Amino acid sequence: MKTFVYIIIFVCLSFCSAAISQQADSPLVSGDFKNVPVDSFLVQLEQQTHYHFYFDTAQLGAVKINITAASQPLKTVLDKAFANTNIYYAFHKNNVFITKGLQVQTTLPQGFFSGKGDDKGAVANTIPDITSNTAESKSSAAENKLIIIGGNAGNSTDRFTIAGYIKDAKTGEPVMGASVSDQDSKAGTTTDQYGYFLLTLPKGHHTMVLQSIGMRDTKRQVLVQGDGTINIDMQPQVMALKRVIVSSEKASNIKSLQMGMQKIDIKTIKQVPVVFGEADVLKVVLTMPGVKSVGEASTGLNVRGGAADQNLILFNDATIYNPSHFFGLFSAFNPEVVKDVELYKASIPARYGGRLSSVLAINSREGNKKDLSGTAGIGLLTSRFNLEGPLKKDKSSFIIGARATYADWLLNLLPDQYKESKAGFYDINLNINHEINKKNTIYLTGYLSKDRFNLNSDTVYAYSNQNVSFKWKHLFNDKFYTLITTGFDRYDYSIFSDRNPVNAYTLGFNINQGYFRTHFNYYKSAKQTIEFGFNTNYYKLHPGTYKPLGKSSLVNLDAMQPEQALESALYISDKYNFNTAFSIEGGLRYSLFNYLGPSTVNHYVDGQPKTEDNMTGKTVYSSAKFIKTYGGPEVRLSGRYAFSPAFSLKAGYNTQRQYIHVLSNTAAMAPTDIWKLSDPNIKPQYGDQISLGLYKNLKSNTIETSVEVYYKRIKDYLDYKSGAVLVLNHHIETDVINTKGKAYGVELLVKKLTGKMNGWISYTYSRTLLKMDDPAAGEVINGGRYYPANYDKPHDVTFIGNYRFTHRFSVSLNATYSTGRPITLPVGRFYYEGAYRTLYADRNAYRIPDYFRTDFSMNIEGNHKVHQRFHNSWTIGVYNVTGRKNPYSVYFVSENGVVNGYKLSIFGSAIPFINYNVRF
Amino acid sequence: MKKIYIPIIAVLLFFACKEVFNPPVTSAVTGYLVVEGFINSGNGASTIKLTRTTKLVDSAATIYEHNAQVKIEDESNATYPLYERDSGNYVSDNLFLNPALKYRIHITTTNGDEYISDFTAVKQTPPIDSISWKVENGGVQIYVNAHDATNTTRYYQHKYSETWEFQSPFIKRITYVIDPVSSKIIGVTELPNADTSIFKCWRTQTPSNILLTSTEKLSEDKVFLPIRYIEPKGGELSILYYIEVRQYALSHEAYLFKQKLKKNTEQLGTIFDPQPSELGGNVHCITNPSQQVVGFVDVTQEQVAKLFINNKELTNWPQTIPCSEEVVENKPENYDPFLMPTHVYEYIGRNSIKSYYVADPICVDCTLRGTNVKPLFWP
Repeated sequence: MKTFVYIIIFVCLSFCSAAISQQADSPLVSGDFKNVPVDSFLVQLEQQTHYHFYFDTAQLGAVKINITAASQPLKTVLDKAFANTNIYYAFHKNNVFITKGLQVQTTLPQGFFSGKGDDKGAVANTIPDITSNTAESKSSAAENKLIIIGGNAGNSTDRFTIAGYIKDAKTGEPVMGASVSDQDSKAGTTTDQYGYFLLTLPKGHHTMVLQSIGMRDTKRQVLVQGDGTINIDMQPQVMALKRVIVSSEKASNIKSLQMGMQKIDIKTIKQVPVVFGEADVLKVVLTMPGVKSVGEASTGLNVRGGAADQNLILFNDATIYNPSHFFGLFSAFNPEVVKDVELYKASIPARYGGRLSSVLAINSREGNKKDLSGTAGIGLLTSRFNLEGPLKKDKSSFIIGARATYADWLLNLLPDQYKESKAGFYDINLNINHEINKKNTIYLTGYLSKDRFNLNSDTVYAYSNQNVSFKWKHLFNDKFYTLITTGFDRYDYSIFSDRNPVNAYTLGFNINQGYFRTHFNYYKSAKQTIEFGFNTNYYKLHPGTYKPLGKSSLVNLDAMQPEQALESALYISDKYNFNTAFSIEGGLRYSLFNYLGPSTVNHYVDGQPKTEDNMTGKTVYSSAKFIKTYGGPEVRLSGRYAFSPAFSLKAGYNTQRQYIHVLSNTAAMAPTDIWKLSDPNIKPQYGDQISLGLYKNLKSNTIETSVEVYYKRIKDYLDYKSGAVLVLNHHIETDVINTKGKAYGVELLVKKLTGKMNGWISYTYSRTLLKMDDPAAGEVINGGRYYPANYDKPHDVTFIGNYRFTHRFSVSLNATYSTGRPITLPVGRFYYEGAYRTLYADRNAYRIPDYFRTDFSMNIEGNHKVHQRFHNSWTIGVYNVTGRKNPYSVYFVSENGVVNGYKLSIFGSAIPFINYNVRF
Repeated sequence: MKKIYIPIIAVLLFFACKEVFNPPVTSAVTGYLVVEGFINSGNGASTIKLTRTTKLVDSAATIYEHNAQVKIEDESNATYPLYERDSGNYVSDNLFLNPALKYRIHITTTNGDEYISDFTAVKQTPPIDSISWKVENGGVQIYVNAHDATNTTRYYQHKYSETWEFQSPFIKRITYVIDPVSSKIIGVTELPNADTSIFKCWRTQTPSNILLTSTEKLSEDKVFLPIRYIEPKGGELSILYYIEVRQYALSHEAYLFKQKLKKNTEQLGTIFDPQPSELGGNVHCITNPSQQVVGFVDVTQEQVAKLFINNKELTNWPQTIPCSEEVVENKPENYDPFLMPTHVYEYIGRNSIKSYYVADPICVDCTLRGTNVKPLFWP
């Protein structure tokens, strides 16, 4: 059946545009055919005539021919031979197409070029016998059908806008990021996250080519006569045993204005081997150039030299303050619910703001709109389950996913100091969407995650993310739509210890935010798209509440005053294509931050370091009082010049402001880190970045290569004085210092995402340097010189590879090398308090040994029968195949009076893993 | 699934690891002055110890600073000299400091550098109310109890030393005969008297962990510090155990300094390590202000409390460590220098040893775990 479809497609692609009528004269043929198989019959005919016969033996099957012909015309012989069968033939020049079930149409419908749109019926009639009911024939039928768009308006030189919506024919979910282009003029666009696109085409006939990852490439014949709409169903890519790969237009990296942007879909994410075998969104993001972390078990991402708190992590629309479970070993996102991940490192769209370094947008799937389906998976540490289906067929759907762990056994294997530890987590996702009508769609998203662990037996830590958001998409018309989003995000943690009854306590922290966002998208013309909108975000933080636990506890209640603020932004951005080669996007975002009462603010002597001794007094502000306002414009500029369809140059400049900061003086980001709002004593962070990139695609766009360079400055980044107290500090400004930072680097990427062998190799050279040289601010670090940040790893090479032996068996290999991270090593030793102790001086002057790791995995899928109820798959692999003891840290401790140095590796040997998944 | 799990778990057993790390040899010579000690506000002598920092890996154990001029100064310019008594320890006369004044230390080293500490107010240390203990999880937890009715002390440091008496499980009644020429064991012979000199011993330990307590967040200035936990059936309590706890009140600054010292040198090696930081102090070099000085000189006093715990106060607590002995034939191949003969099992005739008991020397010779010299204060 499939071969047949491709023949049809092939034939149509080759000849549909040629209008040549069927041959009237027919050569004469002779022969006595008795019980001759149809293929031999056709071969004999071919020998007797100058015609080429096209047919598929398998398709025609065991039909036998019983005719006698003596110098009869070919057509007559064929008519006789195929009488009473469902075999059809069609002539085109010297070619004869033999098909079963339906006839190849070699002519175009009447009026095809006349511009009359009312003979749609004639077109539909060209394939009269759609007997098979499969999706394949439907789609091939759809591909051949001429779709008339718009009333016949304007003259032949006018251009019209087609508004389209692409959905997955099987699940009814919108297809985002699909490429839509005109086959001849190459004009193209991609669908947005809701599956919508706008394309401007000149009047006349066009072949629209539609491509998306995980979907079958398809086409639509359209006759554009005016502005109009088109709805397209794409068939999901069922693993075909042989298929035609059309990969001519996959050049969005060349065409888009975005630079420093990476998009990874869940399929790619699932191929990358990770420790414990559970597909991990954040670990794959870490393999992208320019993204680093302090070490294996740490949560934070450091994007282009930014700190871990400088990334805006959005799960659908919700801000996730702690994106990890279990000390950073797992990311907080259930891979069964995630659809794809977008990371913006440089040209951050104007609609995003509030963080200096990056935006990581994690999009979840919408749920199957046709049938109830689901997946379940079992791994060594976690199990997961998800269920999706229609609430109202084709109109609304839900997806619910849950994950839980049983990891205590693992902790017993950790180093001695973690013995008797316990840890557990779970997370739940729920998405509901409903299409009210063609113009209005609503989305409801909920997310809940909870972690609880104790690292040694007496103190228990727990943290939780809670998010809910509601979104309404409204189309005013085909060119103009709006998104209105509102929601609530909360992150909290608590610690409690009850071993010592006198000191038994609980310590709680939470951050709450409610937001309202409107976004407008106006597609003015093929040359220009304008986006604008308004965001506002109300923060309420409880930076620490320390409470007694139990009757005998003498602990005094110590509650930090709550903090509240309003962060708002107005933005507009304009994308303008001067021509196919040159386009520019300019964005301006004006952000405003109001620190609100009630609050008591400390005052310090002007020009003096903020210390307790220099504290001059306090001012009490009442509720809702605007205590301090910060704000300013943020610029987002990017430009692209395409030298050829496969080679472009892009440049960008952007500035960012950040009003919320993490207080942490640990090397890795800890779940118990406290977030702090800017206030009259703590200035917002400010950063800008200039970047330049070259993009070249090779081998018909199947290989993408890029080189990007960047230079970034950071101002008023928070660092800490030696021995700073961060928890329950009522005058935190006395313990922090504002530092300056600079980061620069080159990122090289070669990426191949199609074919049997796919994957990417990236190399990054980057430096991140910080500097604190203002003696008036208190302490200077390293004598006021630049010093490397904790995550400054100059060289970084990553290889991610996947080789598909068959459609059911593939192997993945990844390898990563990076320079060891900087650490502060002791410079000397002294005897004090009964023991030899270490003396530290220059911060981050040494490096731990280099990091190298190779992981391997095999993905084995069960059979691919489309209609079976359950689809199984196994992932088996080894993390850190070479067993290299990559150091996480090097440290020196005084033990029994002497100084001992140790190197701690988190995963110091090869770790095998296995995962079982079932899809139903 | 079960079948697959078992080997995997076995492999996973070894995955996280900690290895000894040898630091780079190229560490710089520092030689900063290290000032340790406190100005005694408790009507006694003050002792200040002066040493120098060394390279991280250095053949010298400790470099003492000799022949410095050290004096205590008060705000009214009165000075009280300290004299070097032994290696780097400078001791004053018994002083009666005025609690209303602030004091500092003033050091002039032989190379001409002058150092002073910040003037610091006098802290009085409240006495230790008691040392208590109770059985917890089968072991013994010892607590320090103290309070300050005026709620002004707030920051405490505790140090302790402990001594316990213990006995060898086996008494040595026979011994190897050593050939004086070849130094080889040639036989076993009975001792005229059992060797009691290695039967009963004492062991003293002074842990060097910095123990800090803050009552800052408590409604009362009350210390309830679990200072020492003795594991179930631990040898410390096999006969008689003694603990001596010393308590010091700290200024807030001294508390922060010691906490930083503790974090830098004891509390490392976790996943969320705080970053080690430069260690200042309240002593500064006035002749070369950029020179780093290590140390914090507080004005405080020492309070001591003691406690004995007798094995009889406990129930079901063994009086010796678990040990076993075995019988061997009196043959040259059984003369193992790593085992110790204890007593005869069987004779041949009247005096000839046919077979005898041997045990691990640690079960016989108590001096391998302590000293057989009874401490002066021992009852």
